[in-house]
Amino acid sequence: MFELDIRSRKPIYEQLIDKLKQLIIHDVLKEDEKLPSVRELAQQLTINPNTIQKAYRELESQGYIYSLKGKGSFVHPSSKNGRKEELEKVREELKELFAEAMYLGMSREEIAELLKDVEGGERHD
Amino acid sequence: MIDVRNVDKSFDKQQILTNVSFHVNKGSIYGMLGSNGAGKTTMMRMLAGILRQDDGQVHIDNAGIYENTKTKQRLIFLSDHLYFLPQYTIRQMGDYYRSLFPGWDEERYEKLRTLFKLDDKQKLSRFSKGMQRQAAFWLALSTVPDVLILDEPFDGLDAVMRQKIRNLIIQDVAEREMTVLISSHNLREVEDICDHVGILHKGEILLERDLDDLKEDVHKIQAAFKEDAFDPDETDLDVLHVEKRGSVYVLIVRGTEKEVAQEIQSWHPVVYDRLPLTLEEIFIYEMGGVGYAFENILV
Repeated sequence: MFELDIRSRKPIYEQLIDKLKQLIIHDVLKEDEKLPSVRELAQQLTINPNTIQKAYRELESQGYIYSLKGKGSFVHPSSKNGRKEELEKVREELKELFAEAMYLGMSREEIAELLKDVEGGERHD
Repeated sequence: MIDVRNVDKSFDKQQILTNVSFHVNKGSIYGMLGSNGAGKTTMMRMLAGILRQDDGQVHIDNAGIYENTKTKQRLIFLSDHLYFLPQYTIRQMGDYYRSLFPGWDEERYEKLRTLFKLDDKQKLSRFSKGMQRQAAFWLALSTVPDVLILDEPFDGLDAVMRQKIRNLIIQDVAEREMTVLISSHNLREVEDICDHVGILHKGEILLERDLDDLKEDVHKIQAAFKEDAFDPDETDLDVLHVEKRGSVYVLIVRGTEKEVAQEIQSWHPVVYDRLPLTLEEIFIYEMGGVGYAFENILV
């Protein structure tokens, strides 16, 4: 399903969370779709099942997935309010990128243009 | 699952372990790290029931281990010096293990054969170091242990075999909550597989933590400030280590990511970069804190 970079400094558990979030946000994992079980994933990726368990728990508390006892974990029908934290993080990242873009000489109009592109792109999808 | 409390051990008059306590949960993979001569192997030999502690308590599932056959039958200890009965083949060792361990699973033994591809009718003494290691894992996993204690387990194995064996261990942890205790000097390897670590130094436990918590707690910061307007002594940060390379500060600090970021931001850095520490770095800085430091001396 995906690969982790075990040579990265980023803790495996954070990598897992990020990867799964990406898959959920980009609809690779659809609403109410079942996530691979802890066992499957542990074996596939050769990583500690406890780490995966922990990542799933974190995703659940952030509202990305829900779990049913004895059945496994599923993608939460996108309740956007559960993603406040994520939004905050993206906002911070954007701020930094904007600052960098402006420093490198990008104008306000160019940024607006970019934004339009992104919006348009999504509509045509 | 594994519960060690206030254990002391000395050989003759030399104190090896002092008041060691740690705990390993069922289904956890615990990495036991330590400087050379810290007492890791001694601790493991006590857990395997080979040695008896002088004082304190060494329990697996609320039962002692020393001279307790019942507990020992559910446990496998792979020492860093493997021992096989002289002139024995893997098959003969397997039969011997079957007579000792009630959990022995012949079906599993056969399944593992396809994985290891070793000739089990060949004498073990003819095998290379790495092949002997594989044979030891083959036998160990065929007993379906509840507790697996591994002292430098990946020594002598090639990269493919390492991955295979790690995968086998993880399967057992995921499927039947096997508990694993690993000691290794290869911190990279421990880092990938363990969820908890304990650091042993001079016979005492320095720290014992969830590995991810440990990593979230210590950060490597690279920051540069305008006109050097920064004084590491004046901050509220718990600084473990400071280094200045040109105009860039490299700091090792303890604290949550948010706290650290806030504090550094209040000094208005021009450059600010946070890197999670690798286990190797954590080990080195923690050891440095107790005077076991790396010193850059030309000899």
